[in-house]
Amino acid sequence: MLEPGIEEKTFVLNLGPQHPSTHGVLRILLEMDGEYIAKADPVIGYGHRGHEHMAENRNYLQFLPNMGRVDYLHALAYNQCWCMAVEKLLGITVPERAEFIRVITNELNRITSHLLWFGAYLMDLGAFTPFLYCFDDREHILDLLDRVTGSRLTYCYYRFGGVPSDIDREFIDGCFAFIDRFRSRWKDYDNLVTKNVIFINRTKGVGIITPEMALKYGITGPNLRGSGIPYDIRKSEPYSAYPLFNFEIPIGENGDIFDRYVVRLAEMEQSLRIVEQALVKLPNGPIMAEKVPKRIKPPAGEVYQAVETARGEFGIYIVSQGEVKPYRVKLRVPSFATLSFFPEMAKDNLVADAVANLGSIDVVIPEIDR
Amino acid sequence: MLTDTIQKALAPLNLAKVAPGDYAKTGYHLEVAAAPAQLPALAQAMLNTGCFLESLTAVDVSPEAFTLVYHFANFKELCRTVVHASLPKGTEPPTLSQIYPGADWYEREVYDLFGIRFAGHPNLTRILLPEDADFHPLLKEFGAGDAGTGD
Repeated sequence: MLEPGIEEKTFVLNLGPQHPSTHGVLRILLEMDGEYIAKADPVIGYGHRGHEHMAENRNYLQFLPNMGRVDYLHALAYNQCWCMAVEKLLGITVPERAEFIRVITNELNRITSHLLWFGAYLMDLGAFTPFLYCFDDREHILDLLDRVTGSRLTYCYYRFGGVPSDIDREFIDGCFAFIDRFRSRWKDYDNLVTKNVIFINRTKGVGIITPEMALKYGITGPNLRGSGIPYDIRKSEPYSAYPLFNFEIPIGENGDIFDRYVVRLAEMEQSLRIVEQALVKLPNGPIMAEKVPKRIKPPAGEVYQAVETARGEFGIYIVSQGEVKPYRVKLRVPSFATLSFFPEMAKDNLVADAVANLGSIDVVIPEIDR
Repeated sequence: MLTDTIQKALAPLNLAKVAPGDYAKTGYHLEVAAAPAQLPALAQAMLNTGCFLESLTAVDVSPEAFTLVYHFANFKELCRTVVHASLPKGTEPPTLSQIYPGADWYEREVYDLFGIRFAGHPNLTRILLPEDADFHPLLKEFGAGDAGTGD
């Protein structure tokens, strides 16, 4: 604070990533009072592709690949949500084996998303080494998912009524091998990061999200659970085969960056548990429902379907007027709500903490822009 | 049951419709129809019952009217409430951003894509499209372009 009598002056600072070749372009206008932020104003929309508009001009199947490009880090959850919403409109029941395969691949995808966050976030904070460890581990999952889905990032593996191709022995063995390998890494991650004094000092007590604020802004996912609220769609609004597996919802206490970090790390272990159980219990049977119409033309009506992605609640709202194309599709993306809280989070804090805060809420910009 | 609590909380507002929904078919536990002017009181009642604003959007239903669609859910108990409010074109619904700060960006998005102005909004500017855009792409009159439907 300035002494009385001296004129107070603020200046404006642009906070990136702003380069067009980065995977998500976000600009934050910071009005600075010295090292402190007086006002933060996120500018979004650089990656707006108009997915909701595209949905109105494509038939239901044609829109399916768009889903992998909204949040490309957890594409399978988005894929699943669209399939489930359309299945709900059509009244299709998915065979059990297909649900198991969806859960297995979806949870592996969740781990890749958390691993990427983990590595990229620590790089934001100036630690380069963990990034290499994470990408090493992540690579193993990408190989596994590549084998069944045919792609490494923008997956489009689920179909209305099931999945198009079955998993094989090599995939199953590969998953078990990965689970063993990944579990042996926890010790390294803890020693490298969780117990790291610099990391602890930068994250404890910083960037607090209170449960009241989460409620008013509609913040979901690990950002909410870090504040001690065990809200996870997989448990609270069970879908697919999730009710058949034992897993916990890790929560934090203080809602600070450190708690969000701990929650995401613990969630990866829970995902491993789910994958493990699903592989052991994997039932035999068909992977595709029998009576899926070739021409998808749902009856008139509306539907809301939610799933838990790596970043929180993703919801699809479809209005059908009985045509081959949806009349209106709204994509409720978790990062949109989370980023809208950022100005409040950053206000009156150090600019150095703004970087730590922004990384800690794990936003994927193309998902916000849609 | 949260559904009952919400129904009780909404009872004094004289809403056009408060009825249980068909959850298996639509994903709604409670379906509500309201007039745009009733929305702030409704939102306040929803906040008092501990519900969060899940989504806020609009549908261009006809050349004469929009439908505003609000989804509410709860962190503690599974109960999704949908609120439909029919809005004649050219009129301004009240903002909810004073009650749910999260509605601020959602309303900017609806303004951006549909051109609906929310009365009392603190900063109703475009959010996804460029500031100098002169169209609202989710209006049906904006047109489709030809993506082909495969038929």
